[in-house]
Amino acid sequence: MRTFFAVLVSSLLVGASARATPEARPAASVGCVDCHLALDDPSVTPPAKAFADDVHARAGFTCASCHGGDPRAEDQEVAHDRKKGFRGKPSAREVPLVCGTCHADAAAMKHFNPSMRVDQLSEYRSSGHGKKLSQGDETVATCTSCHGAHGILPVKDARSPVYPTRIAQTCNRCHGDPALMAAHNLPADVYAQYTRSVHHEALAKKGDLSAPTCNSCHGNHGAAPPQVGSVANVCGTCHAVFADQFKASPHWEAFAELGLPGCVTCHENHLIVHPTDAFLSTGKDSRCASCHEPGSEGAKSAAAMYADLLRLQKETGAARASLAREAEAGMEVSRAQFDLARADEALTKARADVHLFQPYAVEKAVTTGLTVARAASAEAARIAREREFRRKGLFVSLGLIFLAIVGLVAKIRDLDRRRVSGGP
Amino acid sequence: MSEARRLSSGEAEGGPSAPRLSPLAWVRDRLGWDDIAHLAAKKEVPIHRHTVFYYLGGMALFLFLVQVATGILLLLYYRPSATEAFESVQYIMAEVPFGWLIRSIHAWGANLFVGVVLLHLASVFFLKAYRAPREMTWISGAILLFLTFGFGFSGYLLPWNTLSYFATKVGTDVPAQIPGIGPLLSRILRGGSDVTGATLSRFYGIHVAILPAITTLFLGLHLILVQKKGMSVPPSVERERSPRTMRFVPDFLLRDMVGWLTAVGLLAALSAFFPYELGRKADPFASAPAGIRPEWYFLSMFQALKYLPAEIAGVPGETLGVLFFGALAVVLVGVPLLDRGSSAGRPSPWWNRLAAVALLGALLLALLALLPAPGEATS
Repeated sequence: MRTFFAVLVSSLLVGASARATPEARPAASVGCVDCHLALDDPSVTPPAKAFADDVHARAGFTCASCHGGDPRAEDQEVAHDRKKGFRGKPSAREVPLVCGTCHADAAAMKHFNPSMRVDQLSEYRSSGHGKKLSQGDETVATCTSCHGAHGILPVKDARSPVYPTRIAQTCNRCHGDPALMAAHNLPADVYAQYTRSVHHEALAKKGDLSAPTCNSCHGNHGAAPPQVGSVANVCGTCHAVFADQFKASPHWEAFAELGLPGCVTCHENHLIVHPTDAFLSTGKDSRCASCHEPGSEGAKSAAAMYADLLRLQKETGAARASLAREAEAGMEVSRAQFDLARADEALTKARADVHLFQPYAVEKAVTTGLTVARAASAEAARIAREREFRRKGLFVSLGLIFLAIVGLVAKIRDLDRRRVSGGP
Repeated sequence: MSEARRLSSGEAEGGPSAPRLSPLAWVRDRLGWDDIAHLAAKKEVPIHRHTVFYYLGGMALFLFLVQVATGILLLLYYRPSATEAFESVQYIMAEVPFGWLIRSIHAWGANLFVGVVLLHLASVFFLKAYRAPREMTWISGAILLFLTFGFGFSGYLLPWNTLSYFATKVGTDVPAQIPGIGPLLSRILRGGSDVTGATLSRFYGIHVAILPAITTLFLGLHLILVQKKGMSVPPSVERERSPRTMRFVPDFLLRDMVGWLTAVGLLAALSAFFPYELGRKADPFASAPAGIRPEWYFLSMFQALKYLPAEIAGVPGETLGVLFFGALAVVLVGVPLLDRGSSAGRPSPWWNRLAAVALLGALLLALLALLPAPGEATS
């Protein structure tokens, strides 16, 4: 089997005639498939079966497009004749070149998918995988490791191993292998960490396909870990505001001097959990305390920002609870509740401004929020007074109604008495 | 003889020396007030063990007038469009002085009004007050009942909240089941193929102009007939003795007023302690929330239609259901003509049993409709 593919691919690499353009497409590979299916051999039959669904098959490519040989020949030796361009299974080192035959050729790709990028091969060569491969390490990932060899599906197909929701599992096939990772001096628990992260939650549980997975930060064909100095840039591709704030903060230069990798210093890299205000505290969840000594200026700043955030949360919560109480009592509070949402926005802004690491910036946003929350509390109090007024008004009205009823009953009795006594 | 009566009888007519009337006497003269008072003074109400049911008619009329008055006040602020209706009701509830009270009285009053009208109908039925010569009084009353339902159905949509929107979607699907004209009828009702802002404007027009105009005619006819034919005495009382009577004015009217004041107190208490909720603004693009139900007086029909199978003998189940309820409405209107025994002075126990079974069935169906739907929060 190995020889079979090796011959196929080597022939492909050598022979320019195999390049797949509409004009130069090989004849139908019915002969290859017929034989390989008829053999019912687990080493050669599954690829023939899988190829029916392959995106390349649908575009008119055949087995011979990659493997060479003579698909019309009924005799195996003739079909697999190296003189007829048979190349066999490509080795790991050859795979990128085989795929690159078309995928790195802009002119060839124009015939099939003009909008597809054609720099995958050069990107791959710049990747950690590509570099290792060029050094002779054939255990690294190549095109087929992620995309598959036969039965390749378009990236947009949810069944594809490189569809956003499946990429992490695909990478984990190698990066979760302890022996393989140990050989490369890499951790094997990256996937386990990622599956506990906010990014995985957004992607896998909430179905947000724009949420990041492995390739969002590491690149796909040019996959490599971001360097220490570029972490903020990588995170900043999505978290642009935070990245700008961080770059404007005193931490930007300090982190660079200390060689700390930006965002991940506080937020981790793969195990990125929901950030909480307690990051600023001195408790067990503190991030600041790991660098700033108690009593230092940095610790004081963190404490001030933490206190501000807690104050805004407390007052917003109190206003919300008061309005909810009034709503429960049947009062109309929707406008006040709508207005209170601006306090939530201010809290979000204040939390974002934490990345400036300047207490005055957080305080400014918190002050805006507090103004809104206090206005909502005042409105809740006004509504509560209105509710009391209504209740009191009701009792006064009911009293008057009762008196009127008493008067009517007295009049009715008087009329009845007069009628009985024969009066008018 | 009063001053106005003397003057109107011709004693002071024409002559240049005719004395000047006081403003009050002038108004009474021109209104013919004394004739009205004379007519009212002649009206008598029988006194017997079922007299209490006579108050239901007056109570229904009073609650109708409350609806008219509060409805007119709401008109001053309500804006009948899909973009503004909900916000305008929100404004009425939160910003307009006593707007919450007026809207809550209107909403609670509508429910109380329908309840009283149904009780009035039931009492008139079981006391056989529809017997000759009061057939037309019953028929006009039955039509007023349907108009009342029309008020309830059209008014329910006007706040344009989620519940009313989806309930109206279901409700306007019902007439579509009538063979032949059904789809057209549903389309006319909705002002299009679906419930939209056009439906809201249409329901608003129906609620504040078309139904009030028709109701005024039938209510006028109903009241004239009640006045002309007098109060019916139940056959069971008639057989025993000829009952004593009391004067309508002031004896009965004063007792009526006690009931009316009680109703005002009840409405005020409901409004103060349970302001009628507004819910969330209707979103036509959202999916219908679980537990959508119509107003309580449509619950039995709503539930009955839910139980019907998709097809009965090749005919869609819902079509048969709608035709059944249509037939029931015709029977209700035609009760005085169909119950020949009562008209001939004989007891008609079968009609009573039929009505009792129908009432119990409707009550049971309504209770079943109130059970939480799957996926509906029970809290």
